[in-house]
Amino acid sequence: MVRYIVRRLLLLPLVVLGVTFLLFFLTQRLSPEMRASLYVKDPRQMGALEEVIRQYGLRDNVFKQYGRWLSQVAHGDLGYSPSANMPVAKALKEYLPATVQLALVTMMLVVFFGVWFGAFSAVHKDKWQDSLARVISVGGFSLPIFVLGLLLLMFFYGKLGWFAPGGYSFQTDMIIHGPNFHTYTGFLLIDALLNGNGRVFMDVLSHLVLPAVTLCIGSFALMVRVMRSSMLEELNKDYVRTARAKGLSKGQVIYKHAGKNAIIPVITLASIQFIRLLGGTVIVETIFDYPGIGRFGVLAAQQLDIAGILGFSLMVAVLFVLGNLLSDILYTAVDPRIRLD
Amino acid sequence: MREAPVLQVKDLQVSFTVDKKPVPVVRGLSYSLPAGKVLAVVGESGSGKTVHALSILRLLPPGAQISGGEVLYKGKDVSACTEKELQRVRGQQISMIFQDPAASLNPVLTIGEQLTETLLAHKKITKLQARQEAAQLLEKVGITDAQKRLDEYPFQFSGGMCQRVMIAMALALSPDILIADEPTTALDVTIQAQIVRLIKQLQEQARMSVIFITHNLALASQVADEILVLYGGLCMEQAPADELFAKPLHPYTQGLLASLASVNTRPERLPAIPGQPPVAGENFAGCPFAPRCPHVTDKCRQSLPPLREIGARKVRCFWESTK
Repeated sequence: MVRYIVRRLLLLPLVVLGVTFLLFFLTQRLSPEMRASLYVKDPRQMGALEEVIRQYGLRDNVFKQYGRWLSQVAHGDLGYSPSANMPVAKALKEYLPATVQLALVTMMLVVFFGVWFGAFSAVHKDKWQDSLARVISVGGFSLPIFVLGLLLLMFFYGKLGWFAPGGYSFQTDMIIHGPNFHTYTGFLLIDALLNGNGRVFMDVLSHLVLPAVTLCIGSFALMVRVMRSSMLEELNKDYVRTARAKGLSKGQVIYKHAGKNAIIPVITLASIQFIRLLGGTVIVETIFDYPGIGRFGVLAAQQLDIAGILGFSLMVAVLFVLGNLLSDILYTAVDPRIRLD
Repeated sequence: MREAPVLQVKDLQVSFTVDKKPVPVVRGLSYSLPAGKVLAVVGESGSGKTVHALSILRLLPPGAQISGGEVLYKGKDVSACTEKELQRVRGQQISMIFQDPAASLNPVLTIGEQLTETLLAHKKITKLQARQEAAQLLEKVGITDAQKRLDEYPFQFSGGMCQRVMIAMALALSPDILIADEPTTALDVTIQAQIVRLIKQLQEQARMSVIFITHNLALASQVADEILVLYGGLCMEQAPADELFAKPLHPYTQGLLASLASVNTRPERLPAIPGQPPVAGENFAGCPFAPRCPHVTDKCRQSLPPLREIGARKVRCFWESTK
């Protein structure tokens, strides 16, 4: 197991190199002037553009430039992001926890409701409960995220004024950047608890509700379908008959015996969905003006902020590898037949 | 066979629903199982032997249902029990082992977990006590190093070992009846013999009744006190094992016996019964064996022969020499 993890982690630099080089190569399609322009405050200063190009060696050979970027990264310097108006490393540190928080809350909703609905639907196969669960899941699946997000925002914020967009309220902003609030993890929900500040916690949570629900609905539909078919398959297996023959109660047969086997494909799906959420909550973060990494990536891409784009993709690649590793480890926890070595 | 029967099956009928029409699979089966005896139910694939066994504990797959008759366990009709009552009967009074032992155990739970949950479902004991008992059970079925093996998973056991675990699990609560549904079909021949010996030995120790379901007449001869030959969902012949082997009455039983391979005689070809077993739902008015029977008459094709009693035996045939 440890050997497996080490081996997978050794692969990490390769993946990161591949992804970043590809992106680096693509950004070279832009002229040095375009790449430099974002760093020039006053476009009327004619010499400034040339100055930036010369200073950062933007006309050098692509490999040389890439090598320079790599050695910077190795020293922990990801460059400066004009679109976020701060160093890339600092931007990632600030925006990533918000996205992870959003993704985690979303996945908790998806897994909890998805597994429950799916199992429920399978147990009541072809009865009205099953039809209802299927209608809900198909409905959720066919509703585009940007439509749903806007509708929710319109109704719950526009009409009812319940859940405001953004990451937290103005008051919370004052508190968390004030002297009495200690940042332990960067995850506001956890930090609020550690600081014993219930108001901040509730405020951050209420800002999470709409984006999390919006993200949840699409993933939830798929989860229900996977869990339902997996559960149906398991319920027909021989060991379920054995469990019944032993005189176990219906609940034990369904949840302990069939459920534990049916959950295995759910882990695959949940980890794919989780990783996708980490790198791709772009639309939802934009709709709800949520201060996450997706919004940062979009702004960087729109403004041709190369340092920002590279930093963003570097981080997504790392998360991707780590997320896959995590799901492999999770498998071994559920299925004893899977051994990592 | 004068003892009071522990299980009585009376005119049991089981049918599958295919395209919303019932297709009979077991067509009125009756027998009684005395305490401490082994009844072998012998038949080909599709004869209804497994379906009949599953219907005793009401473990039938969706789409199959008991459409008539009674299953009386010590006088109580199991087929009319509620689900809750049934849970007390299952595993505790009547337990069952199955054809494919490796698939019959849950792959993601340890052997210990699967054994102890059976005990805990029916007995008021602590988890620790259940574990001790589970270890003893494993030793009883010939699994050494029981304490360690309790923490292993089914995939770490061979097929024969899995069946031993299934047997341990089935006998955990000293049931009155064990239903063994082709317990050795998925196993090697050498392992088969071991498992059959084990079942026989445990049956004798506990004076338990066994319904042994098999397609293998030779195997049945090793364990059974009484043999019931099933064909097309009907009992063709029922007799004490030694009498049946000494003098099979029904042409089908004769055919089955003739097609057994023997070490002493080595014919060029093994004799086989020509034709195919009937498909459930085929509409036949007469004897289901008629199309393959060497002694068939027009009468056999037109009407179903009744099950006649001849001393301790029963046979369903019009043929003169069975009388």
